[in-house]
Amino acid sequence: MDPKLTEVSQYFERFKAACVREDIDTSANLLSQLKVLLTSFRSLPPLFEVTPNAVQELTIARDIYEHAVLLSVKMGDQDAFERDFFQLKPYYTDARKRLPRSPQEHMILGLNLLRLLVQNRIAEFHTELELLPAESLEDPCIKHAVELEQSFMEGAYNRVLTAKQTVPNQSYDYFMDLLAKTVRDEIAGCSEKAYDFLSTNDARQMLLFSSDNELLKYINEEHPEWEIKDGSVIFQKAKETAPCKEIPSLQLINQTLSYARELERIV
Amino acid sequence: MTTAGTEDVEMKELPAPAAASSNFAAASSPPSVLQNLNEIASLIESGAYAREVRRIARAIRLTMALRRKLKTSVVSAFLNFVLTPGSEPHARLSSYLPKENDHEMEIDTATSVVQAPMKHSLPELEIYSHLLVLIFLIDQKRYREAKACSSASIARLKNVNRRTVDVLASSLYFYYSLSYEQTGDLAEIRGNLLALHQIATLRHDELGQETLLNLLLRNYLHYNLYDQAEKLRSKAPRFEAHSNQQFCRYLFYVGKIRTIQLEYTDAKESLHQAARKAPVAALGFRIQCTKWAVIVRLLLGEIPERTVFMQKGMEKALRPYFELTNAVRIGDLELFKSVAEKFSATFSMDRTQNLIVRLRHNVIRTGLRNISISYSRISLADIAKKLRLDSENPVADAESIVSKAIRDGAIDAAIDHKNGWMVSKETGDIYSTNEPQMAFNSRIAFCLNMHNEAVRALRFPPNSHKEKESAEKRRERQQQEQELAKHIAEEDDDEF
Repeated sequence: MDPKLTEVSQYFERFKAACVREDIDTSANLLSQLKVLLTSFRSLPPLFEVTPNAVQELTIARDIYEHAVLLSVKMGDQDAFERDFFQLKPYYTDARKRLPRSPQEHMILGLNLLRLLVQNRIAEFHTELELLPAESLEDPCIKHAVELEQSFMEGAYNRVLTAKQTVPNQSYDYFMDLLAKTVRDEIAGCSEKAYDFLSTNDARQMLLFSSDNELLKYINEEHPEWEIKDGSVIFQKAKETAPCKEIPSLQLINQTLSYARELERIV
Repeated sequence: MTTAGTEDVEMKELPAPAAASSNFAAASSPPSVLQNLNEIASLIESGAYAREVRRIARAIRLTMALRRKLKTSVVSAFLNFVLTPGSEPHARLSSYLPKENDHEMEIDTATSVVQAPMKHSLPELEIYSHLLVLIFLIDQKRYREAKACSSASIARLKNVNRRTVDVLASSLYFYYSLSYEQTGDLAEIRGNLLALHQIATLRHDELGQETLLNLLLRNYLHYNLYDQAEKLRSKAPRFEAHSNQQFCRYLFYVGKIRTIQLEYTDAKESLHQAARKAPVAALGFRIQCTKWAVIVRLLLGEIPERTVFMQKGMEKALRPYFELTNAVRIGDLELFKSVAEKFSATFSMDRTQNLIVRLRHNVIRTGLRNISISYSRISLADIAKKLRLDSENPVADAESIVSKAIRDGAIDAAIDHKNGWMVSKETGDIYSTNEPQMAFNSRIAFCLNMHNEAVRALRFPPNSHKEKESAEKRRERQQQEQELAKHIAEEDDDEF
């Protein structure tokens, strides 16, 4: 085998071991070294030259980037995820003919979709979805993300939260937690418009807090306008009925004046 | 135009040997078609010498009219006429033509002896003959040969830098892309198209730029690369459209990109404009535009009218979309699902499958709105049953969906969590609120605005002769003003 290739493989083995050990620092160091080594291969994108070792080089490079993506999830670094994913994408799209399918492809694509959903980049979510061929949509990882987006758009937030239990892969947990937080904010927003008041127990259940204290803390921080009385949370509804009786005199005056002005212009 | 004169003389000799042959089919049409082709060739030649692009454009239009009548014999005879036989372009192009009938070949050799080929081979004529062969091959569905021919033409085009060739070049680009698309190899030519676009921009060939941009967008959209298409479109230089057809195509592609990116209002505008501007004969194109326009309107929450689906010639093609609109209008999730499944083949062919999936949300909203209007109070379990939400926990789902709908302002209601029902708010007497005032105000403002714009747009007759008079009138006016001022001053004095 090519000496460079052997060197890369050895580093890669050490990298994988560090990932399994959850040793983030070593993994990060090894990853940067691996990326530098990869630049010496000419068969990789964007050059895509045809060298005798092309297939092996492409496969190893792809595996390295897949592990990099998973590492960034562990580190909780969304920017690194985005960078590594963009570098990984050409291996899935352009190099499709040269390499056999990667087993982790769908999982990583699903992770990316989930990330876009969490960051509320729905337009890009749909653009990415269009790129997938029809049979990928049957894959559980991707289906999970698609259904999640649907439930989110419809407003069935409880479905979103129950989907947390049915994650196809452990690395989804990070994003699901972020999603839970977004969902909680959404539910709070909807509840204050939809309900007049809620008992504290119900509020706690709906917002998915495990204790009343957490609920109180959340309300104090995010929604100070809610009142808590006799074990129920009252959303501000009473204020709305008062101003109905007033006539918006200033607006009427402005409008009538503008009519007069315009009519005057008609010779 | 002495060359035209010699042509006519030679043409008259043609029918004689052709009629003498036993092959009847070749005898009836070739003379007239060949004659037309030769006229076109002379038109191109004159246009090239006079540097008039319009004549070349006319030549192309005439060619399109002749398209149906082209036959191998005609094309090879034309080639013999236009290009010196034995020259390299002639040999190349003839190799693409199918060698079907030996009988016909004999006639060709007979006729070729009669006519003298053109003395000067202009690059325009060469490119035109490339174009003619290409059109012929595509109409005969010989896509592989068409591919080879078009690649050769493009290579030849790169060396020719004349404005008069531009019109021919854009047609060539179009057929180049078409031949590759029919053989399924569109991705190969992407690099070439980009290079051609660059060259066209450098040469300020606006028609070519337009055509190539559309071809590139079509290329990207064919592979669903909406992101890249949008990036190209936003960076490409834009200018006044030269060709109506290209502009329509551009609007259609822009509409598609916007739809996928969830910008439905822009998409609706583009798609409607494309459908309106398209020529009536382009039925397939208009059907596609209408299909996408219908879906965008559904996604925006509007229901398209029935007349949209009843346009001439489009009824059958739009049938699946009609049933889909029905399902969305009623707000029935089951019906929606069954319609989507029934026509899933059509939808996946139109690439609208993902958009249909997004419609589910609209169906639920419409259903919810209907329920909220009809009931003053209804339990959440009943809502779940009516909406036919199929999930493990329909009541909780229904509750969240209703609360989101309330927050978005789609329905006017309140939920009572303890009793588990939704109470619709009284709509009340609208006339006692400010609503009529607001509506009137917007209408009045619109009418007044229109009046102002009309006044501004009024054109008065040219002022030239007024000026002569106005000098005198000005003096009169000034005199009057002075008298008036004196009068007022006297009045003031009187008053004080």
